[in-house]
Amino acid sequence: MRNVWYLVRFFHVVAPVPSMMVGTFVVLTMAGAGAILGDPARASGALVPVLILQTFASSSGFSLPARRGHYDLLFTRGGSRSLIALVHWATSVGPGVASWWALCFAEIAASAGARATLTASGTLAALFLVSTLPWAVTVGLPRFSGGIGWMLVVVTAATTFSADVFGVWAVPSTRIEDVAWSAWAFFMYPIAAVGEPLDRGQLMAVAPALLLAVGAMVTACHWVAHRDIPLEAAQ
Amino acid sequence: MTLALTVRGLAMQYGRRLVFQDVSFDLAAGQAAGIVGANGSGKTTLLRALAGCLTLKAGEIRIDGLSPRDAIGRIGVGYFAGEATLPGSVRAARWGSLGAGDDVTRESRRLRTLSRGTRQMLGLRTVLGRHPLGLILLDEPWEGLDPDAGRWLSTMLETKRDRGSAVVLSSHRLHDLAGLCDVYVFLLSHHVTVLRAHEIVSVGPVTTEHLLTTFDRLRGGAMTLRATS
Repeated sequence: MRNVWYLVRFFHVVAPVPSMMVGTFVVLTMAGAGAILGDPARASGALVPVLILQTFASSSGFSLPARRGHYDLLFTRGGSRSLIALVHWATSVGPGVASWWALCFAEIAASAGARATLTASGTLAALFLVSTLPWAVTVGLPRFSGGIGWMLVVVTAATTFSADVFGVWAVPSTRIEDVAWSAWAFFMYPIAAVGEPLDRGQLMAVAPALLLAVGAMVTACHWVAHRDIPLEAAQ
Repeated sequence: MTLALTVRGLAMQYGRRLVFQDVSFDLAAGQAAGIVGANGSGKTTLLRALAGCLTLKAGEIRIDGLSPRDAIGRIGVGYFAGEATLPGSVRAARWGSLGAGDDVTRESRRLRTLSRGTRQMLGLRTVLGRHPLGLILLDEPWEGLDPDAGRWLSTMLETKRDRGSAVVLSSHRLHDLAGLCDVYVFLLSHHVTVLRAHEIVSVGPVTTEHLLTTFDRLRGGAMTLRATS
């Protein structure tokens, strides 16, 4: 437990998310909460910019600062490197999750408990995906790589097909072909699921992306635990 | 005296590039080793391997019978690879608080705005403030330090060594290593030579002149740098 506390303290000092980005989360949260308090039906729209920013915040990049020696104090303290990776992930996604919590409270308060779209299963699935996959993908890459890669995929898909391609996942169907398209659409643009309670067909559609995210997280933690960490300047 | 560190037939490489091979030496608790070598000879790599951050190509490292990664949590390792490894955006006082919890400095400026020597000193104090320290690994620790800070570091290392820490240092400043170390590891381009202090000079302490002469003899003569206008 002492080790976990030290890790949390360390990544609070050597923050994986730049303070400018944390400030942006604060601004988005305040603006979103204001919009929700004015009209609770705008809750889903208020969360969208937070999730987009979260994609970049969670693309925090582990390997590069590690190879620059910034985490040497941690590596030479003993303890599990997988735990170091997990705390790094938690502190990377922390500001975005805090922002989501604040908007949830704003929605519940504004609607007197009548609406809870920000805790709907679709919202949770989207939040989970944007908080895990970019971090796992970016572990060995420079900061923001995951977010930039995702943005490229989205723009390419939208211009190649049409923006409607992201909405196909919401069409109720249990046909294998439809579910496969829906799964692809959710994987590319999970934000489309915000505010939606998932039915059986949609659950099947989001499951592959969520499983992929879990697999990527496990792989990334294993990578951190076993990978060499040379100094950039010494190679 | 308990044996603290054993290195046997150690070889390291990056990709296909062999950095060094066949490094063997022992270091007991309360002793110090100095790593001497030209730029790019593998001093940083050797220290990083001792810190458990790298996979060995061949050979083994044992610290009290354990691999470095198993040992570091038990014996306490202080490792510092120089001021360039400090994250520039962090405020100095907050970085200092990551050491033993003592106030290393009250300086609130970001690390990138401090002078090189101040950063080096802060990094050293943060690492050396941790306790207990069974093994101290420092890469070019005197770099950038002013004379007072250099003296402080030498005294601190002697104190730690005399209290039972094993110390491994790399430095180009041979006068700082001379007299402080019990073992000298010379990393040369084609071979590695490990000499204990009494093998360099049979009577009295090892001096800078002894180290320079030995270094030149091992690599087959003094290197001459020709200045071009």
